[in-house]
Amino acid sequence: MEDLREVIHSLKRKGVQYADVRLIRRMHQGLSVKNGEIERSLSVEEQGFGVRVIADGAWGFAANSRLTKAELKKTSDQALRIAKVSAGAGGGRVVLAEVEPAIATYRTPIQKDPFQVPLGTKLTLLFRATEILQKDPRVKVAEGSLSFFKTWKSFVSTEGAEIEQEITESGGGISATAVNGGEAQTRSYPSSHGGDFATKGYEFIEAMDLVGNAERVREEAVALLSAEDCPSGETTIILDGPQLALQVHESCGHAIELDRVLGMEMSYAGGSFLNLEKRGNFRYGSPLVNITADAAVEGGLGTFGFDDEGVPAQRTEIVKDGIFIDYLKSRETAAVLGERSNGCMRADGWNRIPLIRMVNVNLEPREGTLEQLIADTDDGLLISTNKSWSIDQMRLNFQFGCELAREITHGKLGRIFKNPIYTGITPRFWGSCDAICGTSEWHIWGVPNCGKGEPPQTARVGHGTAPARFRGVQVGVKR
Amino acid sequence: MIGEAKALETLEKVLKASEADQTSALLLGSTRGVTRFAESMIHQSMAESNTEVLLTAVLGKKIGSASTNSFRVGDLKKTLQRAVDMAKVQKENPSFLSLPGKQEIAKPLTFFPETAKVSPKERAKAVKTLFHKASICKVKLAGLFATGEGEVAVVNSLGVRAYQPYTFAEVKVIALSADSSGFAYSLSRDTQKIDPEVLGERAIKKCLESKNPRDLPPGRYDVILEPPAVGELLEWLSYIGLGAKSLQEGTSFMTGRLGEKVTGEQVTIYDDGLDPEGIAIPFDFEGVAKRRVVLIEQGVAKGVVYGSLTAAKEGRESTGHGLPPGTGGGPLSLNLFMEAGNVPPDELPSRMERGILVTRLHYVNGFLDTRRTLMTGMTRDGVFYVQEGKIAFPVKNLRFTERVLEAFSRIQAISTERQAIGAAWSELGATVVPALLIRDFNFTGETMF
Repeated sequence: MEDLREVIHSLKRKGVQYADVRLIRRMHQGLSVKNGEIERSLSVEEQGFGVRVIADGAWGFAANSRLTKAELKKTSDQALRIAKVSAGAGGGRVVLAEVEPAIATYRTPIQKDPFQVPLGTKLTLLFRATEILQKDPRVKVAEGSLSFFKTWKSFVSTEGAEIEQEITESGGGISATAVNGGEAQTRSYPSSHGGDFATKGYEFIEAMDLVGNAERVREEAVALLSAEDCPSGETTIILDGPQLALQVHESCGHAIELDRVLGMEMSYAGGSFLNLEKRGNFRYGSPLVNITADAAVEGGLGTFGFDDEGVPAQRTEIVKDGIFIDYLKSRETAAVLGERSNGCMRADGWNRIPLIRMVNVNLEPREGTLEQLIADTDDGLLISTNKSWSIDQMRLNFQFGCELAREITHGKLGRIFKNPIYTGITPRFWGSCDAICGTSEWHIWGVPNCGKGEPPQTARVGHGTAPARFRGVQVGVKR
Repeated sequence: MIGEAKALETLEKVLKASEADQTSALLLGSTRGVTRFAESMIHQSMAESNTEVLLTAVLGKKIGSASTNSFRVGDLKKTLQRAVDMAKVQKENPSFLSLPGKQEIAKPLTFFPETAKVSPKERAKAVKTLFHKASICKVKLAGLFATGEGEVAVVNSLGVRAYQPYTFAEVKVIALSADSSGFAYSLSRDTQKIDPEVLGERAIKKCLESKNPRDLPPGRYDVILEPPAVGELLEWLSYIGLGAKSLQEGTSFMTGRLGEKVTGEQVTIYDDGLDPEGIAIPFDFEGVAKRRVVLIEQGVAKGVVYGSLTAAKEGRESTGHGLPPGTGGGPLSLNLFMEAGNVPPDELPSRMERGILVTRLHYVNGFLDTRRTLMTGMTRDGVFYVQEGKIAFPVKNLRFTERVLEAFSRIQAISTERQAIGAAWSELGATVVPALLIRDFNFTGETMF
């Protein structure tokens, strides 16, 4: 901390408008077992620091992995030079919204430190689960994976903030791919693309019961091989929790990032249809739809103590009774609106500029169970687990492919269908939502691979969802 | 940059201390600067310097890997111990035969000193010139100008000793008006081959031409896909099916079809890590020399790329496309090429009675049905309706959902010129592609801009 203070004092003496320095050390353990063999067995440790400077109204950022006093000085000088150069090219208008400088510490509450659990225990779990997946010869790919992260962050700013955080993240899942002739079908648990993740310890993995769910996953993968293609047409759909999490992620989470709205991400990820004129009056969804951004909820993958510019974790109402009311903000973008940041700036490590990232963007629960919702549905489809995702750069036209659909007829589940695809336009889709299950079905799903920025950054974010029903949705495409 | 002598000597020193039966070290170092702009001003400009070392320990057939971004010998030795500790608790991997042995490796020209020296000031000056032009045309610019240098080294206990320094430069410009946008892009190992002003003018021209876009209903249209659009489709083809792992696991469109016609006769796709038209790099992350691999030749499935683990499973040699050992990925074709055709790019619209010209694609996803190469995605940054061989008017963006290899069997013309399109791994590879004219491309949805 003392070295970081010195850097900040030195930049202050040079008359910068603002500066902060983040020193980060990160440990990661990645394990995967595929078809009875260890496919991935990796231990990563990295450290470094990044210095952000505002001088003459422009940002400069420099990062270095060599943790010496000389490199700290050299790198902070470099950040200052970059800021001045950018200001000279017309980049000098940055103002930051006020924040109370915090002197604080935060530590993810965990029961079992995943880095203290023996490797053998983790591998045994993966072997046991994947052995069950392999019991049908049609399953050609039986895979299980576990991932753990521990990140230590120290943050010091010219405004007097001094924050230390220790964040622990755990996740994992299993999947079975059954192959027959020209067909390949995959089922995953508890979610696809690596499973489910949370800011929790190894207790989160134990509670998943990967072994107990392996047989069902295997049977569903095999059953999909002989299932009919999902019929096309406009129909009622119920999305399960994991798929709804990705629906929230793509059509709400990214759309409410204020940097996108202000055009700052047009060169890569794009903008947003939720422009400033729509705030407070635009009907984003039906009156049932309430969406919040909550970085303070315990255990969510987007949960922390402070964001990467020292703003405390907080809860923000984003969509209230279907009306769009607020954005995910940084100090810079909040100042454009004359407001305060709601703490959404995070960087993918020491060598990346913090960007506005989702925290836990949650669809708030309403009432009832999935069983009751199905019983209440005359005709439609229950669509489960994401397979593919695509949305335009303003976050309007989306298309999702999922692993499995179940027919619903007169309130009962029927046949399974393979290759379900559904598509829509964001506000029309959310406007068609006429039921959301209650708290007993609600879970915060961890999405560990959210991409944004150049150079690319990966964020780990969360989405609380309970299954929900949507009317008149286009399922399938013309082929 | 650590440099060849110090990098190799240090890694060899660490390997000598290894208690493992076989040990390898992969070093990836880079110093880069990225100047990002939006709303015609620089909003993010950064410099970064990092060196990562991945150490892999093999005990019999047990493999463990560990990485660090410290280059101190003491830290490297501790990291090696972590790799050994990881390996000790593994089950044996029956598919593993050995780390690769000593290789003859080519030394292509991949380092251009002038590119390594480009400063934030020079990048800022270049983009400021673009802002001025944009302001005259009443459009705003977004994009980036990135430059940097890097180094890759692989050393292993069986005699592999490979080192390659490189530079890279990438410029992307998106011009935006209230209802239109235009795009231009260039990637090279040599910054002197990129002219940001020309790119800026191209993006601005396209933006102005795409103002007042009209609605066009979804349906099947003949389409011209410009190189950035083709590059994205090829990148996905590579990811879902041109590597040995997906072939062996049965999820590739090549599974069971090697030697068969899988797409149109005009289509030849290959990987070549040494071709300077792409972003050359002469060896893979295991230190195996990259071989030229023909993947699809005149529409016939010819082969896939291999790393040492997938090659061992079939009793063959690696083609030099392995990803870092122990990390679970790949193999992957990082230097894809599609063979050019015989129509100058400007003449492609004249080969079309009516249809759509697409500048590039957005958010393509190829996981819908990998066996049938079913993909979806949106158009972006300049879509035009072509009538009687000429661009008639701009149209709003559309979604496509298409079996890509089937679509490639309907190719009507291929451009003479190709362009290198970068991906997330643009420092170590690129996809070099022509523009394509395809009949009856399936547009399945529309959006509101």
